[in-house]
Amino acid sequence: MLRILCFLAVAFVVRTAHAEELPIFDAHIHYSHDAVRLVPPEEAIKVLRAAGLSKALVSSSDDNGTQLLFEAAPDLIVPSLRPYRRRGEISSWMHDPTVIDYVEDNLAKNKYFAIGEFHAYGDDINTPVLQRIIALAKEHNLLLHAHSDAEAIDLIFESYPDALVLWAHSGFDRPEEVRKVLERHENLWADLAFRSDQSRGGKVAADWLSVFSAFPERFMVGTDTFAPERWYYVEDHANFSREWIASLPEALVEKLAYRNAEDMIKRVTARQSE
Amino acid sequence: MKSATRVWVLAALVFVTMGDWASNGRAAETSSELLLRDDEIARIIRHGPWPPPRRVDASNRVSGNMSAAELGELLFFDPRLSANRQIACSTCHDPKLGWTDGKARAGGLERLDRNTQSLFNVSGNRWFGLDGRNDTLWAHSIGPMLDSREMGATPDLVAKILREDQILNELYQTAFGVSANDRDPLDLLVDAAKSLAAFQETITTGRTSFDIFRDALEREDYKAANDYPESAQRGAALFVGRGRCNLCHIGARFTNDEFDDAGVPYFTGPGGVDPGRFEGIRQLRASPYNLLGRHNDSPENASGWATAQVAQTHRTFGQFKVPSLRQLVQTAPYMHDGSLKTLQEVVDHYSNIDLDRIHSDATPLLAPLNLTEQERADLVEFLKSLSTPVEAD
Repeated sequence: MLRILCFLAVAFVVRTAHAEELPIFDAHIHYSHDAVRLVPPEEAIKVLRAAGLSKALVSSSDDNGTQLLFEAAPDLIVPSLRPYRRRGEISSWMHDPTVIDYVEDNLAKNKYFAIGEFHAYGDDINTPVLQRIIALAKEHNLLLHAHSDAEAIDLIFESYPDALVLWAHSGFDRPEEVRKVLERHENLWADLAFRSDQSRGGKVAADWLSVFSAFPERFMVGTDTFAPERWYYVEDHANFSREWIASLPEALVEKLAYRNAEDMIKRVTARQSE
Repeated sequence: MKSATRVWVLAALVFVTMGDWASNGRAAETSSELLLRDDEIARIIRHGPWPPPRRVDASNRVSGNMSAAELGELLFFDPRLSANRQIACSTCHDPKLGWTDGKARAGGLERLDRNTQSLFNVSGNRWFGLDGRNDTLWAHSIGPMLDSREMGATPDLVAKILREDQILNELYQTAFGVSANDRDPLDLLVDAAKSLAAFQETITTGRTSFDIFRDALEREDYKAANDYPESAQRGAALFVGRGRCNLCHIGARFTNDEFDDAGVPYFTGPGGVDPGRFEGIRQLRASPYNLLGRHNDSPENASGWATAQVAQTHRTFGQFKVPSLRQLVQTAPYMHDGSLKTLQEVVDHYSNIDLDRIHSDATPLLAPLNLTEQERADLVEFLKSLSTPVEAD
């Protein structure tokens, strides 16, 4: 009996330790010009590793930050090309044709797995700049990381039906709306960055659990380091994610923590190697 | 502006912009001397009346008790409550400096990372501290006494002073109806904090030129309202109009008593940040002195509901308290870290706000206002009108 109790105790400790160390693929990291200055690359990598991240999908305005991190930790960083030279271009970039030159120049000289995170709503997708970005994603077999509403997501797939798209913040839509968009597009993933409604007190919310269960391969987590200070929130965010992910059914735990994001990137690399 | 000149200017303005006035709904008949539309007047009226009804803190059994306030006042100015016997509450909350210290960042036994907040009208707060780490004024009065960076006292030190100082001992007996000698140090610490709170409840501000203006608007006495300077009127219109300042700075106290990201950097130094409300919520929930704990003198009331419900979210990281705007002329420098020295700098900050620092998940509440020099001056004049005149020493 004592032996059984000891075994159970050890099993509990191992499971707890495993939960604490659950790797996290952070699918929403930015490392923009001001962050480069205030959180130097070696410090930034230290932050990501201390948080127990297995991978981080990183983009930056301008792209220099992403390249610096990728150079410092190619095992950790999954580079994405953000079509902004500075963050202030969030609402104007789709009307600025010089963005195309910037994106094409970088695609020609660097390795990427995605374009984004970019901001585009509704028929922004039909602007020549967005249409060219989508064409470049097709040409280079890249994921599109879109901070968009559902209408824009629909228009991306209308423009390029085989696109691979990561929907930033799950559009800040309600779970039942996210469900509808995922039902329409099989090549769509959704990150949960900067949203807290999927859990309460460390437990997954029932409405979200229903959608996670319906689409177990599509969701992932991310911090969104939109201001330099938020680099020091990456570890808190990873721990927050571990806590509520641990309340999911076992079959979902690793998927949301890191496997879905890994599989999404594998889809990209598979296309790139074809 | 002299009145005769003003009549001519107003007449010219009416002539030139008569079409605009007709189309944008300005109240030509009821408030023709004012530079405000009816909807602006309605919004301005919501910032009063002042002073508000006095509020008794049910969680503090000596709230409103004058003996407790007297005891609290003596404790407030008593440096014996610190580890080195040199730092009193009043060291940082100096009444001559608007109950703050005039410094960018506070310093007790050590330098801190935040600006000292004024105590003007502090009893009206819902949350206390720039990060809202406490839900009562008395609980918030415990923190600085025990914090090793501020006063570095202990419950035993506070108890010793209350027991051994005859005046304090007698006041304690009067206020609490029990001898300090019969209370344990932890309870005495809490009671000292409740006395400090009773004293701080008395730190209020009087009626300002804005309040006189606002009340005149409410009773539709536009002649009296027009004594309010034109520049401040234009500033008020900006405040409740294009500036949308009144979305956070609401009501008579000009605050929603909540927290937000005003786009001010919150690094504390290399490798360090001030997590603001995020950490404040953690501390609030963990505090043995919150409204859910045994020190709440009115445990049956529902005042702890918000404390039980409040939760850390990603958004709360780097948020700080939306401050009251009353008596600002005495409480410089401004913002959570005291990084803005003047009201002009505060207005400029919001006029040119760096949207790069604000998350773009929705239509941002804050947007660069690109105010003209005149508009910036008008907004400053309006803010100044929320203060009573400061008496010279």
